[in-house]
Amino acid sequence: MTETYILFTLAGTTYAVRTRDVQHMEMVEEITPVPNAPSFVEGVVFSRGQVVPVLNLRARFGFERIAPDVRARLLVVHAEGRTVGLLVDSAREFAGIAADAVRPPQDALTGLNGRYLEGIAVLNDRIVLVLDLAAVIDVAEPLVGGAKETV
Amino acid sequence: MPDAEREAGRFSDSFLDDYFAECDEHLRAMRAALLKLETALRDGRLDPGALEQIFRGCHSIKGLSGMVELTEAETLAHELESYLRALRDAELGLVPAGVDTLVDGVMELERVIVARRDRLPVPPSAALIARVRALTAGGASAPAGARTAAAVTSGGQRWQATYVPTPALLERGVNVNTVRERLQELGTIVSAMPDVRAGGGLAFTFVVETAAPPALAEWERDGITWMRLGEAERAPAAAEAAPAAAATAAHFVRVDLARLDDLMRIIGDLVIDRARLAESLARVEPHVPANEWQAVHEHRSSLDRHVRDLRHGVMRVRLIPVGDVFDRMVFVVRDLAREYGKQVRLELHGKATEIDKFLIERMMEPVLHLVRNAIAHGLEGPEARQRAGKPREGTITLRASTVGDTALIDVEDDGQGVDAAAVTARARAAGVPVPDGPLDAGALLDLICAPGLSTRETPDRGSGRGVGMAAVRAAVQEVGGTLSLETDPRRGTRFTLELPVTLAITDAIIATVGDRTFAVPQNSVSEVIEVEPAAVRQLENNEIIPYRQGTLPLVRLSRVFGVAAAPRPRLHVFVTGRGAGAVGVAVDRIVGQKEIVVRTFGDRFIKVHGVAGATELGDGRVVLILDVGALVRSGEARGVR
Amino acid sequence: MPGAPHTPRVYFTTLAVVPFVPGATLVTNILVVDDSATIRRMVRAALQPVAEAQFVEAETGLEAIERLAFAPVGLIVLDLNMPDMHGLEVLRFVRAHATYRGIPVLVLTTRGDDASRGAALAAGATAYLTKPFAPAALAAEARRLLERGGVGAGR
Repeated sequence: MTETYILFTLAGTTYAVRTRDVQHMEMVEEITPVPNAPSFVEGVVFSRGQVVPVLNLRARFGFERIAPDVRARLLVVHAEGRTVGLLVDSAREFAGIAADAVRPPQDALTGLNGRYLEGIAVLNDRIVLVLDLAAVIDVAEPLVGGAKETV
Repeated sequence: MPDAEREAGRFSDSFLDDYFAECDEHLRAMRAALLKLETALRDGRLDPGALEQIFRGCHSIKGLSGMVELTEAETLAHELESYLRALRDAELGLVPAGVDTLVDGVMELERVIVARRDRLPVPPSAALIARVRALTAGGASAPAGARTAAAVTSGGQRWQATYVPTPALLERGVNVNTVRERLQELGTIVSAMPDVRAGGGLAFTFVVETAAPPALAEWERDGITWMRLGEAERAPAAAEAAPAAAATAAHFVRVDLARLDDLMRIIGDLVIDRARLAESLARVEPHVPANEWQAVHEHRSSLDRHVRDLRHGVMRVRLIPVGDVFDRMVFVVRDLAREYGKQVRLELHGKATEIDKFLIERMMEPVLHLVRNAIAHGLEGPEARQRAGKPREGTITLRASTVGDTALIDVEDDGQGVDAAAVTARARAAGVPVPDGPLDAGALLDLICAPGLSTRETPDRGSGRGVGMAAVRAAVQEVGGTLSLETDPRRGTRFTLELPVTLAITDAIIATVGDRTFAVPQNSVSEVIEVEPAAVRQLENNEIIPYRQGTLPLVRLSRVFGVAAAPRPRLHVFVTGRGAGAVGVAVDRIVGQKEIVVRTFGDRFIKVHGVAGATELGDGRVVLILDVGALVRSGEARGVR
Repeated sequence: MPGAPHTPRVYFTTLAVVPFVPGATLVTNILVVDDSATIRRMVRAALQPVAEAQFVEAETGLEAIERLAFAPVGLIVLDLNMPDMHGLEVLRFVRAHATYRGIPVLVLTTRGDDASRGAALAAGATAYLTKPFAPAALAAEARRLLERGGVGAGR
C-alpha cells in the first residue's frame, strides 16, 4: 500500500510525514513566545482560529537553531487528538512511499533520534526519514518550566 | 396493541430531547416544592400548593414517560402520583417518613430518566415502589399526619377582576395566561371562570384576595375591570388556580445551549472584526479631514456600544440562578448525613446569584465533592462536637455571589479544619514533595490536590467520573477559575471557587513587558497604580512597595517571564488579589483596555503556569492572556528575587 | 449584578389568522390543548399528514377557551389533566355554548384511567384516545372527525 507523504528538510536531512496527518502548511509569520514553556516550543500562532503550539524541530532533535528564512515552513499537523505546528527548514515535495519500502531504523544509523522515527525509506537514492509523529509531539517529561507542576 | 405502541415509540424518539428537557423542568420544580413541603411539615402543616406541584410533576412525567416508552419512569411516577393523590384528597396524613419517601422517589425518578438519557442500564426501583405502596395503603391505620386543611383565606379584601380579551390585546401580548400571572402576583386567586356574554363575546372572571387594592387605571388598559366584592359574597369556586404552578412556563423559551454557543462565537468574531476596524481606521485617520472624521468616530463609538450590549445580552441569556444547584444540595446533604452518621444543617446564601449555565454544569461535580468531603471529613460526629462545646448539628454553608465579572462560590463547614499533619503524612507516603516549614493554606491546598493523594475516597456514588480534589481543582482551572482554601482547626474549613462569569469575551488590560504584549483580565485587577522605582524596598527575598496605609508585595513580570525589562521612569503596577493576598504586579507600560475574545489554550506543550489563554488584538498576532493569580503563586514558589 | 434576579421574559403568541368561510373546506384550525410543550409538539407532528390542518396551541384550559374566541376551530385535541382548569371543564364550557357546541373534541386520556374516560364521554367528548398514542391512529381519528364535523356522541 502506498501512502502520500510530505517531505521536508531539517539540517540537510529529508524527513517525511503522512499527508493525511498534515492539516495544512503555511509560511512562518510571527510566533508569539510562551514564557516558561520547554525550550523546543518556539511559541504559539493562530491557525484557523485556534491557538497552536509551534515546535522548533531543530531544537527538538538537538540540532542547532537558526533564524527562520523565507523557505521555512510551518506544518500544522494533527495527531493523538492534538493540533501542533512543526517549524522546519523547508517543505516542498510530495512523494508516494510504499509501506514495505519503509525499513525500521537501526540504532547505528540514527543514534539518539531513533525514537522520533518510524523508519527509513530510500527514494531515488535519497534517504528519507519517516517521522513518528506521535513520538515527536509526545510530552515525555512533566512540562512547565519553572514553577512546580500541578496536574 | 403492541404494534401501535412500537410505532409510538419510534415516533417519539425524535422528541427525546424535549422529553429530557421537560422532565428536568418538572424535577426542578418538584425539588423546590419538596423543600417547601418539608418546611411546612416541621410547623405541623401540610402545604397544599407544594403538594399540588409535586403531584402535577409526577403526573406530567408519567404521561410523558408513557409517550417515550420509559416504563420504569412511568410506573414509578404512577405510584408516587397515587400516594400524592391520597394525600391531596386528605385520605392520608403526611408524616416525616412520607416526605423522606417522596424525596427518595423524586431522586430515583431522576436517576431513572438520566440513565435512559445516558444510555445506561436503568436502576431497579422495586424497593422504593414497595415503600410508596406501603404508604399509600396506610389508609385508616396511618398515624395522624398533617392533612390538607380547608383553603384558608389569606386575609385582605376580595375583588372580582373581569378580563375581556380582544385581538388588539392579544397582539400586544396580553392574554389570559399573563393576566392570571399578574393576578397571582397581586394576591391569591380564589376562582377563575370563563363566560360567554350576551353579545357572544368572551370574558374571564377572576375572584382575587389581595391586601392592597389594585391600581385600576393600569389594569383597565389591558382590558381588566375590577369590582370590590362584599366580605360575605363568595364567588363559586370553579377552577382553582394552583399557586405558582403554571407560573413560569408560559414566559420562557427553551433554548439549545449549542445555539447560544454559536451566538457567542459569532459575537466573538464580531468583536475581532471591530478591533480590526479600529486598527484600519487608526491608520486612515491622518488622511481624513477632521470634520468628516467626527462622523466616523461617532459611528464607531456607537458600534462599540452596540457590540458590547449585544455581548452582554447574549451572556445574560445563558445565566441561570445558582439556586437550582443549591436546591439539589439539600437532598445530597440529607443522604450524606445519613451515610456518614453526622447531623448536618445546610445554609444557603445567594441563591439568586446568576452564573453561566455552562459553568454551573461544570461546577456541579466539584461542589458536590467538596460538600461530601465536608460532611465525611470536615464535620465531626455529634458526640465529638458536643465534647468540643459545639452544637451537635454541624453546619455546612454554601454561598454564591458575584463581584464584577467574577462569581464566587464558597463551601464552608464549621468542623475540625484540615488536618495538616495527616495530609503531610499521606503526601510523603504517596511520594509527593512536601515543602519544609509550616504550611500555609496555599501549600496545604496544593498537597490536598496533588494527584495520587485523594485515594481515601472510596469509589462510591458519584465516582467513575474522576473524583478527588485533583479533579476538583482541574475542573475549576479548566474554566479559568481558581480554588482557594481557608482552614482553622477550631472554626472549620472554607473552600472558595472563583469563576469568571463571562467565559468567552472579557475586558482586559493590555500591558507590555520588554518587547512582549500581554493581556490581563479586568476582573483580576482591582487597581492600577504608578510607583517610583525608588519607593521599592527589599524585604528578605521579596520586594515591597508602599500601598494605601501599608505595603504590598511586588512581583516584576519581567523577572517572572525571564524577559528584559525596559528601564522606565515610573513603574506601572496593577494590584491583584484581595485582602492579605493582594499583590502588585509590575509591567513596563499599561497600553490600555480592550474587550478581548478569549481563545483557549489547551495543548499540553503550552500549559504553562501563568498563561490562561490567548487572544488576537486585531493584527493577527497572538497575545497571551495572563493568569495573574497563578503567576503570583509561581513567583512566590520560586522565591522571585 | 448583586443578586438581582433577571429572568428573560420572551413570550411568543401564535395567532392563526385564517378567514372563516362557512361551508368551504379551506384550511382548518386544530386546537391542541396540553400543559406539556413536548406533548403538544408530538400531537402536531402526528397530525402533519392531515392536509388541511393548521395549528393553534394552548397550554391551559383558560387559554384554550380564549383561543376559541378568536380563531375558528375545526377540531379540539384536549388533554384532561391540566393544572389550572381540568379538561372536563373546558369540555363542558364548549358544549354549553352555541358558538362552540358543534366543534368535535378528541380527548387524550392516560392509560388505565377509565373513570376519566367515562366522564369525558358523558361530558360530550366526540372521541378519545389513550396516551401513549400511535401517531397514525391520532391522524386517522382527527381526519375522521374533521370530515364528519358536528356533535359528539354524548349529546
